Amino acid sequence: MPLDDDAAINAAREKSGEPAVRHKLEFPTTPLGEVPAGGMPTRTLWGDAWRRLRRNKLALVALGYLAIILVFAVTADLWAKPLFGEFMYVDSTTVMQTRFQAPSAMHWMGTDDFGRDELARVVYGARISLAIGIGATTLAVTLGLLLGGLSGYYGGRVDGVIMRMTDVFLAFPYLLFAILLMSVMGPGFWSLVIAIGILGWTTIARVFRSSVLSVKENEYVDAARAMGASDLRILGRHILPNAMAPIIVYSTMSVGGVILSEAALSFLGLGIQPPTPSWGRMLDESQTYMTTHPSLFIWPGLAIVLTVLAFVLLGDGLRDALDVKMKD
Amino acid sequence: MAGDALLKVDDLKMYFHTRDGVVKAVDGVSYELERGGTLGIVGESGSGKSVHALTMMRLVPMPPGRIEGGDVLFKGRSLIAMSDEEIRHVRGNEIAMIFQDPMTSLNPVYRVGRQIAEPLMVHKGASRAEAWDRAVELLRLVGIPNPETRVRDYPHQFSGGMRQRAMIAMALACDPDIVIADEPTTALDVTIQAQIVELMLELQERTGSAIIMITHDLGVVADVADRVLVMYAGKAVEYGTVDEVYYRPLHPYTWGLLDSIPIHGVSEKSELCPIKGQPPSLIFLPSGCPFHPRCPHAQEICRTTVPTLRVIEGSHSSACHFSGDAGFTREGVACEVSPS
Repeated sequence: MPLDDDAAINAAREKSGEPAVRHKLEFPTTPLGEVPAGGMPTRTLWGDAWRRLRRNKLALVALGYLAIILVFAVTADLWAKPLFGEFMYVDSTTVMQTRFQAPSAMHWMGTDDFGRDELARVVYGARISLAIGIGATTLAVTLGLLLGGLSGYYGGRVDGVIMRMTDVFLAFPYLLFAILLMSVMGPGFWSLVIAIGILGWTTIARVFRSSVLSVKENEYVDAARAMGASDLRILGRHILPNAMAPIIVYSTMSVGGVILSEAALSFLGLGIQPPTPSWGRMLDESQTYMTTHPSLFIWPGLAIVLTVLAFVLLGDGLRDALDVKMKD
Repeated sequence: MAGDALLKVDDLKMYFHTRDGVVKAVDGVSYELERGGTLGIVGESGSGKSVHALTMMRLVPMPPGRIEGGDVLFKGRSLIAMSDEEIRHVRGNEIAMIFQDPMTSLNPVYRVGRQIAEPLMVHKGASRAEAWDRAVELLRLVGIPNPETRVRDYPHQFSGGMRQRAMIAMALACDPDIVIADEPTTALDVTIQAQIVELMLELQERTGSAIIMITHDLGVVADVADRVLVMYAGKAVEYGTVDEVYYRPLHPYTWGLLDSIPIHGVSEKSELCPIKGQPPSLIFLPSGCPFHPRCPHAQEICRTTVPTLRVIEGSHSSACHFSGDAGFTREGVACEVSPS
């Protein structure tokens, strides 16, 4: 007898005098889409996180600072050149008069050794530095989450292969490997992003793997599986949000590290090529004049310090904001 | 009619292959569950009662686990032979599970409503708003006050009892045919335990779901079940209706279990009568009947021959060589209280 049909069963039961099976839950239905009294059903994890983040003043200041830098960097073409002049190329006829100027109304941060406006270079440098910082970190985090997640979730042979792979990557001297990659791919923006990203995923994979290992033992993961969730759903919806906190902190902090790596590689002539400015390059170029014109390294240095600090503070704020157990 | 059973478990065997040897966690369990019926599975820790449920749902990691034999037929379909895709559609949709510890069974980062709504979105293709509305109604159904507002709470804002209610709501979301409750009351206060058992019975009345109640609490089983399966060392040792198992138990292990219950109101001087010894290692099972080292009635045959579960009378079966023999009764043994 097919058991899928309640009507058939009940008919059969009626014949034999048994009580009918009631097999449908009756819901007093609320009209679709109507928001229950006092309710906002659409609010998500991220919506809640944002609400909590707004209460953390320090993180908000950091976010504001980063937003301003980003807007300046993106829109620089519109205003920097007309306002501060050419920031890339040297006018050899006037360079002796315009170099090493002190800050003035015309040049807010003064000029550098080639007579180029320092502010314009810091603003344009933000483009390269932030783009590489965010780009390489995104690549590293994506690779790290994917490989660390697979490794921790499936365990066994998958885990073994991936973890040995990270060991190999970690065993290479960082700079040497980066130089190797860069010389294969040739200098340039994307090579930098790829080289730094590929070298950065190992730590993230390890951190994420260990968080997944502890999170997947929770009963709610078993409950999700018993509920019929797919592996992808379990990993993405149930494990990831619970294992994210250390990754968020680590990756925001690593943006600063990436900006410094970029400086090192550019210094070795493998990264951004002159005359394009990046904060790392500007630091390196200012070395010669460190004692005579310290402002040349103070400005890009300040930019790096403030930006890295902002990322760290934001990361810290995000970590707290994403923890639902922090009191509202 | 044989095909009438909603769930038919036939000689199910789940072994774990570990470095120390083969752990026979479930070693030949058979029973049938009817639509709307309630089966209680009792046994000590490590008797294989939880693993057997996880095996049916194919939730045991394999390896190290391996199904060594037997089959589970659900509505005539084999749960064991199903593809991963098919079994996933059964889980939570047709067979739902309630876990032991409500404190950790809900994901802390999601609102309660979102989690109750999840099975509806996974299996029934419900939209977010539809599923959310259902979640409110389900919470109302399981007796959470102000479900419209509580549905937006996070799990840590719920008490233990409320969380178990929420878990029940989640299990019922897709209106499953079977709800497997794996020690649903163990982690709760005694007063809450009674409420949860009450609630499950009431909901069974309304939904017609069958329940498999896994517990080591004989009182809970007596309250809810119509049939009882007693497990020991991965094997079914006694199977019958609740009245049969409680009032006319056949197996010495069941006698021991019933004698171990403290009786309320009896003289405070009266000692408890526990079963002596420890459950056996599932790797090195004793020869013959697995219970014989602890059994006060053990004879030579118990050491040499493995008893099979056989019908003694009507629907009541037992896996003891002597069950059904005249004079082999529970009253025949006095509790030997060791001087302490």
